[in-house]
Amino acid sequence: MLIRSCELHGLIFFIVLLQSCDTKKSVNKTFVIRKDQKAVGISFPLKYTEGIPPDSVFAFAEVRLLSKNKSVAILGDYSIVNQTVLFTPLIPFTHGLSYEILVKGKQIDTFEIPKNHSSRAPALLGIFPSADTLPENLLKVYLHFSHPMREGQSARYVTLLKNNSDTIKGAFLDLQPELWNPDRTILTLWLDPGRIKRDLIPNKLLGAPLKKNGSYQIVISKDWTDASGNSLSRSFTKTFTTIIRDSLSPDPDLWKISLPEKRTSNALKIDFHEPLDHSLLQETLTVKNQKGETISGKWQILDEEKVCLFSPDQNWISANYILRIETKLEDLAGNNLNRPFDKDITKKENKKKLGDFAEISFQVKD
Amino acid sequence: MYFLLAVVCAGLTLLAGTSRLTRGKYGLNVGTPEIKSINSLAFGPEGILFIGDSKSAVIFAVDTKDAVANDQVTTVEIKNIDQKIAALLGTTPENITIQDIAVNPVSKSVYCAVQSGDGTPVLFKIEGDKIVPVSTKNIPFSSLALNNVPSEGAKDKRGTSMRVSAISDIGFADGKVLVSGLSGQEFSSTFRSIPFPFTDKQDQAMLEIYHAAHGKYETLAPIRTFTTADINGKKYLVASYTCTPLVLFPLDELKAGSHVKGRTVAEMGSGNSPVDMVTMKKGSESFLMMANSARPVFKVKYKSIEAYQGSLTTPVEENFATAGVDFVSLPVTNVVQLDKLDDTRMILLQRRSNGSLDLWTSSERFL
Repeated sequence: MLIRSCELHGLIFFIVLLQSCDTKKSVNKTFVIRKDQKAVGISFPLKYTEGIPPDSVFAFAEVRLLSKNKSVAILGDYSIVNQTVLFTPLIPFTHGLSYEILVKGKQIDTFEIPKNHSSRAPALLGIFPSADTLPENLLKVYLHFSHPMREGQSARYVTLLKNNSDTIKGAFLDLQPELWNPDRTILTLWLDPGRIKRDLIPNKLLGAPLKKNGSYQIVISKDWTDASGNSLSRSFTKTFTTIIRDSLSPDPDLWKISLPEKRTSNALKIDFHEPLDHSLLQETLTVKNQKGETISGKWQILDEEKVCLFSPDQNWISANYILRIETKLEDLAGNNLNRPFDKDITKKENKKKLGDFAEISFQVKD
Repeated sequence: MYFLLAVVCAGLTLLAGTSRLTRGKYGLNVGTPEIKSINSLAFGPEGILFIGDSKSAVIFAVDTKDAVANDQVTTVEIKNIDQKIAALLGTTPENITIQDIAVNPVSKSVYCAVQSGDGTPVLFKIEGDKIVPVSTKNIPFSSLALNNVPSEGAKDKRGTSMRVSAISDIGFADGKVLVSGLSGQEFSSTFRSIPFPFTDKQDQAMLEIYHAAHGKYETLAPIRTFTTADINGKKYLVASYTCTPLVLFPLDELKAGSHVKGRTVAEMGSGNSPVDMVTMKKGSESFLMMANSARPVFKVKYKSIEAYQGSLTTPVEENFATAGVDFVSLPVTNVVQLDKLDDTRMILLQRRSNGSLDLWTSSERFL
């Protein structure tokens, strides 16, 4: 069996390397072509297909899964470059499986795609909200991973437990497609909104997934694999207790702003007095000067999402500034600055609607 | 930035492809669309297939060139379709997911979107008992990016975008591509109505949709799946929220920037998420068929919806599992995908009790 694996970044580089340094040797062996830890193709010597005219090679060569059951030719593209046949399957070869190359139905070579090493195991970097005391009408949980994860698996690998023992079935909404960021490293899970929304049948029959004064655990199984097929390095558990429901919109009038000194780049500190949504905090706050220009700088989220720090790139000057808040900013129960998650429409509202933004003025003094 | 890159790449491919070819029908140009995921499929006119790509937040329109009318519709019956597709892809069934199926209303071929464990999307066409790949290289296509302000997405410390979103369903009605999208950050959905052929103007109607429950509470309500139907001579969007209530919106009220409240006509029970909906017809009667994650397929007569002029304004009796319009549960469970073959027959992808994942054609007797 001739197996060699080549850690390269794409077919082009692979071919260039073949031409430049290893032409004689390489045409004698089957290579697995790798890209981003994925086995995206193979190359094998054209001489495997001896006696077949080059333009007919594709009609007689096949790559199949080595299997006890009857396998079929794998779909993909063939090409011939430098006395080498390149085969690119429609999806990468699967780690842990073996394959065979056949010409005119006869096995010519085999190759194996070994399982990935655990040193590259993905990890769960964080679960948000990070506080260990959460409202019973908690709406969202964010999972942050170190690597792009396999999609469509959360219902199988994420469990909500009560008192470390009882699994709460149907706590998270089984949503397909799941809610991932483009890189597939951040997943949003919703606690079933039908059970949280007051008076809907799921709420009436099953009640909310969480009840106040309870002890709960969110468990993420280590069996969850990333997009390359590596399992998580270990299982993860977040333990929290629940308090009464939060039905109130966050109110910027109640926030405490600690002012920096002029001619420093010390951080502006905003204390919300309650945890707010980790993901929305990243994009809903802006500091502007009097002219309405955005001040560039870095935002940090601290103290279990109760505090934000803003450090400007340039020193503060003695002037008026504005903290602009997008009103879509939510707390942990989905109440945003403009409306609570479920609004009782039989009650009159006195609060004035804010529009898309709320603003807080502050002055850096002499 | 990701979205921007996707658009730029798609644009470059488009330019590369157009140097030799003229602009085609429906504004499609020959090239290779950079499709990063296929979450949702829907057919438009003359074999145009709309592909919802959640990963790049783009809707692609591709010409399948499969537009010859087929009057001799053959029924589809493929047992263990996941095993068969996995074998063609050189892997095992647990490494693939069937994301959506769509029937070409002209040729009646079934199209099937598959995703491998590493996220690679593959499109298949099912002809009788044959499963053939559909190439998306050098095909006539156009695309429309859904996020207008991609550069504003927040980044974490590693510089990766934190914007979490998904296209939950797409459809085509009255010359418009209808797209429902879910946000993973705010509890909301956007519903876009995009004229096709796509234009540079992107005059999308974006809606905020509210869920009024029993005259007491009002919440934002993300749409999971939808279909369109004529009710009392008027065109409606028939949608189902992530928390299962069935709601109606008059299509002509869905205008850009508006805040629309759906009329809830039924609550379909708890612990369940709607999967797919289609409108079927037998004689003069039409039916809404709805597949569910944890319930059998539901059948609702549009006549009952027409007759039910109320909204669910009174609190639901606690003993009842459901409320509003009556519906029938069909003896078909674990249907994971559903589409309409013709007026009276559906194509179903069903996980059977023996574990087998089968694609099959329903008969008229369900109606």
